Amino acid sequence: MERMRQTLTSFWKPALAILVAIVISAVVLTVAGYDAWKAFEALWNATFRNLKSFGNTLNKASPLLFTGVAVAVSFRCNVFNIGTEGQFLMGAIAATCVGIVGKGLPGIVLVILMFLAGAAAGAAWGFLPGWLKARHGVSEVITTIMFNYIAMQFLGYLVRGPLRDTSQAEPQSFPIADQGFLHYIISGTRLHIGFFLGSILAIVMYLWLFRTYYGYEVRSVGFNATAARCGGVNVKRTMVQAMLMSGAIAGLGGAIELAGNAHYLFENLSPGYGYTAIAVSILASNNPIGVIFSALLFGFLNAGSTAMQRAADVSASFVNIFQGIVIVFVALAAISKKHSKGRAAKGGA
Amino acid sequence: MEQLSYFLAATVRMATPLLIAALGLAIAERAGMMNIGGEGVMLMGAFAAYAATRLLGSYWFGVLFAIVTSVMLITVFAVVTITYKAEQVVVGAAINMLGAGITSVVYRKLFYRAGEGISGMMVESFPSIPIPGLSRIPVLGPMLFDHNVIVYFGFFLVFVLWFIMRHTSLGLKIIACGEHPEAADSLGIHVIRVRYLTTLFSGVLMGISGAYLSIAQTNAFGEDMTGGKGYIALAVVILGKWSPLGILAGSAIFGGANALQMTVQNLGVGLPNNIIMMIPYVVTVLAVLAVSKKRVGAPSAQGVPYEKS
Repeated sequence: MERMRQTLTSFWKPALAILVAIVISAVVLTVAGYDAWKAFEALWNATFRNLKSFGNTLNKASPLLFTGVAVAVSFRCNVFNIGTEGQFLMGAIAATCVGIVGKGLPGIVLVILMFLAGAAAGAAWGFLPGWLKARHGVSEVITTIMFNYIAMQFLGYLVRGPLRDTSQAEPQSFPIADQGFLHYIISGTRLHIGFFLGSILAIVMYLWLFRTYYGYEVRSVGFNATAARCGGVNVKRTMVQAMLMSGAIAGLGGAIELAGNAHYLFENLSPGYGYTAIAVSILASNNPIGVIFSALLFGFLNAGSTAMQRAADVSASFVNIFQGIVIVFVALAAISKKHSKGRAAKGGA
Repeated sequence: MEQLSYFLAATVRMATPLLIAALGLAIAERAGMMNIGGEGVMLMGAFAAYAATRLLGSYWFGVLFAIVTSVMLITVFAVVTITYKAEQVVVGAAINMLGAGITSVVYRKLFYRAGEGISGMMVESFPSIPIPGLSRIPVLGPMLFDHNVIVYFGFFLVFVLWFIMRHTSLGLKIIACGEHPEAADSLGIHVIRVRYLTTLFSGVLMGISGAYLSIAQTNAFGEDMTGGKGYIALAVVILGKWSPLGILAGSAIFGGANALQMTVQNLGVGLPNNIIMMIPYVVTVLAVLAVSKKRVGAPSAQGVPYEKS
């Protein structure tokens, strides 16, 4: 019974935040002279018109699910990994290289190798800031953001230089080998297994965080690093491990996006998935299973944003405002929860 | 010689927005704030400055509106983090999204017309005001004495803030709020008020810094034109060890990295552009790493909400 009440409260606060965000954005749209109803209708239809559009939304949610779980793992350890964007891109880059080189391999082997390469590259890109923080006390917020820009420029360099497919007008890389493409699982749609793999991963990460000793260490560091140290946890090593894990998940997400959807590299491969991931994770109170639902919501928003731009002439960046409002209100709700807990403790004493 | 002169003048031009933004951030951080939302606030300033200049016809209106809108956006941050004590890094990320979203939506609504060339989009920007006599000095003249008003304002600000932080009780009060808010409170310093005022003050400076990007350094607005300067300013604060003079030096290093990137591009060295564009970001990581070894402490209570018990 207690458990059910907890689950309910963990749902109504984000739901309220979303509702507030919808109301505020409707008001803003109307004041700015847009047709808010038409915009929201286009947003809705972009996902629920037919099976194909629904599959498309699940595909859009897939990268957000991976980067969202990555953010959740690091935030649980109180390590602010703002760098899942860069880790995602490095994962996609590594997967592309493997996918181009491994032309002779059978499909299943190639796909697994691409996933492994993506996870390894993402982990490496997450390890460096983690190590710099643990070993030298360098703020991970700054280094991960800088690493995002470096990864972006590196991607730009590859698609204009060594990997450039010169048969195309726009700078893009050669496509990966055909057998490396992920299959579409429902005919007539482009739906690939990314979202489902991500959901399984989210559940695994939830179990890891909440049901294993290592996960307990990670959370104890996030909750109170000093207390964790006194309890015998190696805080620095745990932080580096959390960054490795977080980077690997984001990198795997990049590899899956590449194999399932993009099939080649180009400069805007990620329209800021790593930044949206912060909103995705915060909305789910950094709970990996909750991330499945919030990734769906933001996938729905992303899928609809371009439709909204076409139908009601609202800039696709409008989604950014919506996300910002959601984060602010969820952050507020998290605080009110903390306070009511504090009050209860005082009352009991 | 001419290359050197160009390089040094470009260094100062590129350093100015970082300098002004970092000074604002440093004062707020000294009082115990950690605001990663500077990117969004600067973007807001850059857009408001452009919009006001274009619609009202004077760049002075531009700066004024940049300040007003930036302060409005940072007020959201201040209320949510100071009064309601929400996680500062998280809210900062939200501020960045709001800044990027709002500027892009309004820019599209008001100004963007498909197919219209860039020439119609330009506005009048702050002119260079060479200081008579001094600007003629070779190398040093173009470097220090041949700039627009905002650059001079940046230099001036360094010394004003240095004086305030170093030699006035106001400076001590601010530092106390960031180092040990409970002790500050027991001495009758209003911690919440100090944090509000320093945060809003950083909003004023980030607004001016944003305005510099759109109506002084260039004369148009572009979506996401800050390109990470709000984040680099955070690194400048660390590099400058939270002191105005240190920040002057720190911003010169980053300005130099940017100017180097431009100079290298101009010289036509055989390096690919994307690799050259990495320079400022790599320098940021290395510089922050270099400083971290000397164990200079950030304000002890940085990022920790203050709750009066």
